[in-house]
Amino acid sequence: MRALEMYRSVPRTVAARAVGGRAAGLVSGWAPLRLTSRDEPVVPQPGWVRLRSRLAGICGSDLGALSGRSSFYFSGLVSMPFVPGHEVVADLLDDCEGLPAGSRVVVDPVLGCAARGVEPCAACAAGHTNRCASVTTGHLRPGLQTGFCADTGGGWGQVLAAHRSQLHAVPDDVPDEQAVLTEPVACAVHTALRAQVPEQGRVLVSGAGTVGLLATLALRALTPAAEIVVVAKHPRQAEAARRCGATTVVAPGEVLRRVRRSTGAFAVRPEFAAPYLLGGVDVAIDAVGSRQSLQTALRSTRAGGRVVLSGMPASADLSAAWFRELEIVGTYASAQREEAAGGRGAFELAGELVRGEVVAELARGVVGYPLDRFHEALDHAAGAGSLGAVKVAFDLRSRR
Amino acid sequence: MNPLRDAGADLRQAARGWRWGHRPLVPRSAEAQVPPAPPATGFPTAWSRTPAGRAAREIAQKAALEPVFRSQVRTRVEGLDVLDGLDGPVIFVANHASHLDTPLVLLSLPDAWRRRTAVAAAADYFFDTWWRAVGSALVFNTFPLDRRTGTGVSTLTGVLADGWNVLVFPEGTRSLDGYVGRFQLGAAHLAVRHGVPVVPIAHRGTFAAMPRGASWPGRGRRQLSVRLGTPLRPAPEESPRAFAPRVREAVAALLDEDASTWWEARRRAAAGRTPDPAGPDVAAWRRVWAQTAPVEVDRPRNAWQR
Amino acid sequence: MSRPGLVLEVDERTPPLVVHDGEGFRLESFPLGTRALYPPESLPALPDLDAAIRDALLHPLDADPLPSKLRPGMRLTIAFDDVSLPLPPMRAPDVRQRVIEAVLTMAADAGVDDVALIAANALHRRMTDAELRHAVGERVFRSFHPQGLLVNHDAEDRANLVHVGVTDRGEDVEINRRAAESDLLVYVNINLVAMDGGHKSVPVGLASYNSLRHHHNAKTMVASHSFMDHEASHLHHSAWRMGRMLAEHLDIFQIETTLNQDIFPSAYEFLQKREWEWSLRDQASMLGLRRGLALAPERLRHKMFHDMRSAYGVTGVNAGAVEPVHERTIAAVHRQQLVEVNGQTDVLVMGVPYLGPYNVDSVMNPILATCMGLGYFFNSYRGSPLVRRGGAVILYHPLQPHFHQVHHPSYVDFYEEVLTESTDPLVIEEKYERQFATDPWYIHLYRTSHAYHGVHPFYMWYWAAHGMDHVGDVIWVGGDRRAAQRLGFRAASSLADALEMASGTVGSDPSITYLHNAPHLLADVR
Repeated sequence: MRALEMYRSVPRTVAARAVGGRAAGLVSGWAPLRLTSRDEPVVPQPGWVRLRSRLAGICGSDLGALSGRSSFYFSGLVSMPFVPGHEVVADLLDDCEGLPAGSRVVVDPVLGCAARGVEPCAACAAGHTNRCASVTTGHLRPGLQTGFCADTGGGWGQVLAAHRSQLHAVPDDVPDEQAVLTEPVACAVHTALRAQVPEQGRVLVSGAGTVGLLATLALRALTPAAEIVVVAKHPRQAEAARRCGATTVVAPGEVLRRVRRSTGAFAVRPEFAAPYLLGGVDVAIDAVGSRQSLQTALRSTRAGGRVVLSGMPASADLSAAWFRELEIVGTYASAQREEAAGGRGAFELAGELVRGEVVAELARGVVGYPLDRFHEALDHAAGAGSLGAVKVAFDLRSRR
Repeated sequence: MNPLRDAGADLRQAARGWRWGHRPLVPRSAEAQVPPAPPATGFPTAWSRTPAGRAAREIAQKAALEPVFRSQVRTRVEGLDVLDGLDGPVIFVANHASHLDTPLVLLSLPDAWRRRTAVAAAADYFFDTWWRAVGSALVFNTFPLDRRTGTGVSTLTGVLADGWNVLVFPEGTRSLDGYVGRFQLGAAHLAVRHGVPVVPIAHRGTFAAMPRGASWPGRGRRQLSVRLGTPLRPAPEESPRAFAPRVREAVAALLDEDASTWWEARRRAAAGRTPDPAGPDVAAWRRVWAQTAPVEVDRPRNAWQR
Repeated sequence: MSRPGLVLEVDERTPPLVVHDGEGFRLESFPLGTRALYPPESLPALPDLDAAIRDALLHPLDADPLPSKLRPGMRLTIAFDDVSLPLPPMRAPDVRQRVIEAVLTMAADAGVDDVALIAANALHRRMTDAELRHAVGERVFRSFHPQGLLVNHDAEDRANLVHVGVTDRGEDVEINRRAAESDLLVYVNINLVAMDGGHKSVPVGLASYNSLRHHHNAKTMVASHSFMDHEASHLHHSAWRMGRMLAEHLDIFQIETTLNQDIFPSAYEFLQKREWEWSLRDQASMLGLRRGLALAPERLRHKMFHDMRSAYGVTGVNAGAVEPVHERTIAAVHRQQLVEVNGQTDVLVMGVPYLGPYNVDSVMNPILATCMGLGYFFNSYRGSPLVRRGGAVILYHPLQPHFHQVHHPSYVDFYEEVLTESTDPLVIEEKYERQFATDPWYIHLYRTSHAYHGVHPFYMWYWAAHGMDHVGDVIWVGGDRRAAQRLGFRAASSLADALEMASGTVGSDPSITYLHNAPHLLADVR
């Protein structure tokens, strides 16, 4: 089968990192990624089936890994070489319990205890599969998710393997373009629930890429947030953010002032540092993962408020977290049992949101590329905001 | 944004908008508000009477003006001996028929006198643009005098007080037909007020050589003649109004003398029959005709010619 | 002798005309037949200003001579116009200093101990110490400032405001407590334009938001035709009602001064000459300045303009009761600024300069530029507006969305938040004014820093309301496109383009009038 494969290459990783910037490394072709023919992945264990990938999204974390910007923290949680792609819509090739071959499914990429064939750890037992402690053991080589594990393959290859516990059927009336957003929406659902927005709460969403837009959508749908301020760089994003439920959309340079205005807070202008607020929003969500974005979130949250890290975070000045007693909350992937939603699964909730009009509208911004144009696809994904794409994906459906 | 190109565009706009090289114009609708022309006597000329200015003028007059002048006209000067008894300053008063008058008079004076002589010039003509003002002040030692109002007399007074002789054309303008016009009182006034002698000067031929409107002397090295007369001093208690006609009569007598002989002119003067320098009341063409007749001069005969 | 105002008709002989354009100027070749309005030339200044001041104080109009009002043990307050006047700032000594010194000399002679000075800045930013020193002079500053007796008015200091009463139309009159509780309030004014002075001095300059909102609002401003004509301005009618009410409670001794047109210092002298009378030297300075400005970095350009100090001459000093004094003042202002114009025009062209009342030593942001163009300049008329109803206004200003961080904090929010929602003064007023006016942060900055009050940008927008209501099209030549769009206007790259754009409103052969301002002028439209 044909697949894109990420391999270990110290010089390329170093070079891509040195060039700096997400786009630069990718555009110059230094990303350690190649198009290869390799064997279809098979996991000879009960509950495992093969899937034929239809549409597989490119996620910010994929770009981070490819451009060498990800923290080395994650190097122990992946097994090289692997086929990336964890936002997948696929056709089932084998029958499995409850799902006949040929069904269209989406994949919850988290590889928990159930998939690895080990006794459920405490987290998995409670349904918090994304917090699984066994990501390095069991049948599989280490890999925090499908798309980072050498054994399972990923959405960027024609065929991948998945465990029954990861699969969620897609209703026939949902097109692939909408369905491919299920995984990101599930993450957004998890983020929104983790944010614990109080009644009439004010929320700042820093970033209006896929993560920010979908987080806004989930916040509006699942939380009692009254005011959602979204930071958007590009006009198309601003428009989309409003559709997703933002009350106010601001440009990056305006954030602090707008939050200050709407919350009646006082601003402080320290020497040799950026200004911040005494007061501000109840919850800020960093949906970019840049230092700038996280700083903004930290600086515009009221004392005792919550800063949610959605997307792999960069380092930042944590003084505000200390002084303002902020709760810094991480949100990784999604859980099979979301306590804040009465124990329902994030994918179940996501499935409902994905069928809605807003996602249908957003899905028009999904851009597909064949595997062999992967350089172009990655470049497009890196510049998706300014180029007006909501999601760039590899389209592996047979050409009509 | 090319700075050079922008600068060029600005320059072109200014050149076109303000008609560089032409006279500035006033928009039609603003004409009602054009202020009466300010007396253009503000142009400072003191620099031209400094030692450096004098040195520059000496070069300009001797190296450029005089050779050119002599190449275009011939001159005869009479009566320079009247200056012998004087040690300045004096007011030279001459009739005025041409732009040649100033160089003619200046170049006719002995060097020592020439170097100490300034010329009162029409402020509205010679001092209306800076380059004409600088040029005339440098070459002819002019200073501005407003011919209608007399503004600028203070400069004239100052120049006299500094020991400079002043050449004044009291008609205030060049003659239209070569005959002498009315004398304005300015020169007489000054002479009376400061007790400065007036040296009358009469000259003929400049109208024929280069009348109004011509910018260069006519072909053929025409003959010009200059005649200086006995200095006139205002009598005690004599008013400028009485003194001015005396000056004019002196110029008239000199003209008569230049055209005939000293003795004949003297006799006509005594009889009060000196021809009116304003000329006969005849048709304009006859006046011009008379004034463009070649000047007859008695040439000193070549000793070898018979 | 200074010549009267002029309505120039651009013909083939007319050189390009200067148009102010932010921190710079352009030379514009207007279409033939364009009318250009020039103010009267600068009137001669009073030969002996100190004598004139003394004379005004000793022989006031409808009031007792100042010395007879002064007695030991009394409470005397002197209020004076703030940093928004005159424009550009006056070369030292400022006329306020001369007047205040004369008043204080008389007060000292009379043995008055309790004297305080207050800058009547209303909701404007507080004046800095340096600005106060410049306005009142070093001697006055040194005598009063260290003791806290020379202060800025604080419209948010509840403890130091007094609600004096309500006018017959129900308007609250609330002013500075010290001023209201004085035995004598002396107001020292600079009447730069016809809008200033009169009852606009005390009841506005020393008022609180609570009082100002009765006339500083969209409805009143749309109906002030124009606010440069106090007899036809609803804003002024309200201020007059307040002033008359105040006069029953308080002894106000008004001192008004008028200035001539000597605005530009010698290096920029050509800017106040008529272009066809420019000498070669003027043309050379123009070309030199244009090149210099083009090459100068922005900071230097900013400094060049904002360091400009005018050599204003004082043309009149009048003292006494407010109304008779103001009548004389207005007559003097009209003598200096009035130009008679026949009929309205289809297109009105105006150049917005680098400076307005609210950006002294600061930045002219797009909101202030709008206020300057559609507020002040548009309203520079008496009778009917220069441009016909539904006509087009063409303005020159770069409209860069730059804001002074210290002076204009609420302007940024107004620009980013309010104007993106709506540009309609009535809608804006309804939805946002209250929020901005009561925002504690803006109040804090207004009181402790040098910020304009939170509500001030709204006032600027109301100021322009009459203009926006009256004209059909507003086009900014050389303006930042996005900023113009944000303001609800359009931008063009040249006058020709702007006229082309306006042709939809006014046709392809409109009558054009250019307001050649500054120096200041007031069009008397017949």
